[in-house]
Amino acid sequence: MNDLKKGVSRRDFLSTTVKAGTVGALTAGVLLASCSSKKTAEELGLPPLLDKAPDGKKLKAGLVGTGHRGTGAALNFLDAGSNLELVALADVFQERIDECRKKLKEKDVKIADNMCFTGFDGYQQLMEQELDVVILATPPYFRPQQFAAAIRAKKHVFMEKPVAVDPTGIRMILAAAEKAKALGLNVVTGTQRRHRRDYVATYEQIANGAIGDILSAKAYWNQSHVWYREKQPKWSDMEYMIRNWNNFAWLSGDHIVEQHVHNIDVINWFAGKTPAFAIGYGGRARRKTGDQFDFFSIDFNYGRGLSMHSMCRQIDNCANGIGEFIIGTKGMSNCSNKIFDLDGKPIWSYEYPKNEKGESSGKVKVSPYVQEHIHLVTAIRTGNYVNHAFDTAFSTLTGIMGRTAAYTGRKVTWKEIMESDMKLGPEKMEFGDVNMEFNVPIPGE
Amino acid sequence: MAHRSINNRKGKKHLTFFILGAVVVYLLTLSIGIVSDKTSTDSYCISCHVHTQADAAWKLSTHADNYSGVIVHCVDCHLPPRGQGYFIAKVKHGVKDVYSYWTKNPEDIDWEKMKDPEEAAHFTYNESCVNCHSNLFPSTLSDDGGDAHLYYQQNRESLNCINCHISVGHFDKNRKHEHNLEFGSNNNSEKEVFTEPALVEKFEDFIEYIPNTTVSFEMVAIKGEIFTMGSPMDESFSQTKERPQIRVQISPFWIGRAEVSWDEFLAFYAQTATKGHADDMADKTDADAITGPTAPWGAPDQGWGKGKRPAITMSFHAAEVYCEWLTKVTGKKYRLPTEAEWEFACRAGTEMPYFFVGDPKDYSKKGWKRTFIDPVTEVITDYAVYAENSHFKTYEPAKVKPNPFGLLNMPGNVWEFCSDWYEVEAYRQYEDQGTIVNPTGPAEGTEHVIRGGAFDSDAIELRSANRDHTRTTDWLVTDPQIPKSAWWYSDSKNVGFRVVCEQNKN
Repeated sequence: MNDLKKGVSRRDFLSTTVKAGTVGALTAGVLLASCSSKKTAEELGLPPLLDKAPDGKKLKAGLVGTGHRGTGAALNFLDAGSNLELVALADVFQERIDECRKKLKEKDVKIADNMCFTGFDGYQQLMEQELDVVILATPPYFRPQQFAAAIRAKKHVFMEKPVAVDPTGIRMILAAAEKAKALGLNVVTGTQRRHRRDYVATYEQIANGAIGDILSAKAYWNQSHVWYREKQPKWSDMEYMIRNWNNFAWLSGDHIVEQHVHNIDVINWFAGKTPAFAIGYGGRARRKTGDQFDFFSIDFNYGRGLSMHSMCRQIDNCANGIGEFIIGTKGMSNCSNKIFDLDGKPIWSYEYPKNEKGESSGKVKVSPYVQEHIHLVTAIRTGNYVNHAFDTAFSTLTGIMGRTAAYTGRKVTWKEIMESDMKLGPEKMEFGDVNMEFNVPIPGE
Repeated sequence: MAHRSINNRKGKKHLTFFILGAVVVYLLTLSIGIVSDKTSTDSYCISCHVHTQADAAWKLSTHADNYSGVIVHCVDCHLPPRGQGYFIAKVKHGVKDVYSYWTKNPEDIDWEKMKDPEEAAHFTYNESCVNCHSNLFPSTLSDDGGDAHLYYQQNRESLNCINCHISVGHFDKNRKHEHNLEFGSNNNSEKEVFTEPALVEKFEDFIEYIPNTTVSFEMVAIKGEIFTMGSPMDESFSQTKERPQIRVQISPFWIGRAEVSWDEFLAFYAQTATKGHADDMADKTDADAITGPTAPWGAPDQGWGKGKRPAITMSFHAAEVYCEWLTKVTGKKYRLPTEAEWEFACRAGTEMPYFFVGDPKDYSKKGWKRTFIDPVTEVITDYAVYAENSHFKTYEPAKVKPNPFGLLNMPGNVWEFCSDWYEVEAYRQYEDQGTIVNPTGPAEGTEHVIRGGAFDSDAIELRSANRDHTRTTDWLVTDPQIPKSAWWYSDSKNVGFRVVCEQNKN
């Protein structure tokens, strides 16, 4: 751990060792031996952190869900390397496609009229086109069906988090992910902390023992209220819910799943496992529309004494913050860029690129949103297979387990939630009035 | 030099021996290989395995008849893959088969029993299944299939492929692995449809008619009495769970002459069944309506036939709801028997191991001396369907003679649910309390009592005092649905029940 104390990053240390090889075989042997106990980035399953994907044959992509994130994801894909094209769009609403095309046009990306598909089955028509990659960025409810369809159509996939809103959907994702694996189709997901260079470097330190065994974890996403839409007279129930999807549990999974999954995923990643059960609570204090809670506090128990306290809240004028924290037997870390000893003294920190003034920029060199797509394109072009669907499905299910614990007030185990037949949403996907009661859940009922 | 030449000669000799040895080893290996290959062909297997039905069923199965034209041969499933114990298993099965060939009569072999996945696992290798089927998630797999294989991934220790895919090697129309939506659609149109239930005015035997069906069944009046429950220490094979013996007073009740038949259970199924999952139940608007079973998985009757054979594989919950439904349609209070009522009815006034004469020691097949002396089957075979006479399946009640109360199949045929929670030391709580009136068992528990033994039981289990219990987890182990069925056990086929009718207190 000397390298940590000196503040030398692992990569620097390795290159130093290589140079030292000239010093003498004996010395090099000793040094290499001291390194061999450390796991390489590849052994740790970390992504290749290239600045740009390698060149290769042209890859054509189609985007399903052309909202803000979808449009952003498509542009991120195009930024990942050369010879990448976006050629098809699908969305439930025509005007969302129009808006997306307008934004793309500003970047000189043009989509042919006959490659734009609307309606609930628009994605199916898109999948029939000649595409290599499909980007899935609709509200989470639609993800399992669309992911399964993409794999059936034998496309590589980038999909946004979360990947489902209920256990039925999670199992559909897992089965399709297994099929993707067998077919060699690459899958990268939008839990972008796994593609942030600072998180990745911190993970590398901790996976190699920088803080010892993890004893305790915290994950939180406390912020002001999120966007919402009031119902307009011309909208049917279905249209209203989809336009206000971020406020209905069947569409978003509630914010513990939709948003907080990022933080939950980090703890699952660093702990190397998923929780055995969850107990917790939540409620609805200030939310204006929909049926979701606006705060959750969940204790996720991983067994052997390890707990994650998970907090998430979407209420204005409160103590806010977003992040993770873990404490181990030898030190602690914010998971993103700093490691401390048990007295709180910093012992390692991530070195961000410097700005023109020679100061730390505080930003990673390549945006994680682009880094994800660099990974996907690299995997497709080099044959270094990647499939993040499993990890993201398990983290999404962790969120669903926490949500269920809060909604019901009960203890919910991993086995229970894994085997649950919970399926959210209306029977049929069609515009019109929806015969569903949207009562806010009451714990203990 | 002389030294060296001797050495040279020695060296040459060594070399000759070495080459000879190598040739011998090579020829031996070659011949073993040839013998092994020759004895691994389908025609070689069939030459001794005198089961023409297995051969025919294999030709109908997807392992012989499929669109890809690939044929999966006997040894591909019935031996492990090469390099995974192939030769050891080949020798082991070979020796066993030769022994059976010379000493056994093929007609005496219980082929029905061999079809049982648990039994079949002894000569069907899971390693071989996954050796060929290495991709559990082919792109053509359905959503339900995906769910089922995810479940297998998480429970590899307790599951074999054949638990679900038993008929892939030998076709069996009764063992299709799918929801059986036609199940129970019996056509009894030519029979009389009963419009009213039985009118019972006196405490005596009666025939119950299930209204709006063609189904009736007999109920036997059992007078209340005091009896001794449990077994004495000196009864052969008496177990702690049957002791201490307690004095019990039972109030009068009626009990089914036979176990609830498929005809009776299917009348319930036809009137209450739901086709889908738990969600469907919420849709039922009639608050009084009884929601019955969902469609079963595969063939609950195991292909043995329905009719008057005892209904099997229904869950304890399903049996309870059946009683609720019967109560509603007949206006009489029907329920499962308590454990005490069951034993009282079975003993029918006797205090011996069985209500017929004989010692469990002589009837049982257990113990070292059974290698030389066959167990006694006289007497017991008249009264009970059990391992020695059942050919591993259930029978209609007419096959056996009644007990002194006139009841059929109290021991044997199928185990029967009792309403009590099971506890090993259940009788302990009544110790030194004198005579207990209508005991109902422990206040809480996780599994229920089952009584009487079944078609696959040894004579020991048929003793009037013998007790056992439900095994909910084990009995649902291969149910691929999530959550598992509340109505049908996927992995139990020897448990049924009989009903009790309470005397009207007014």
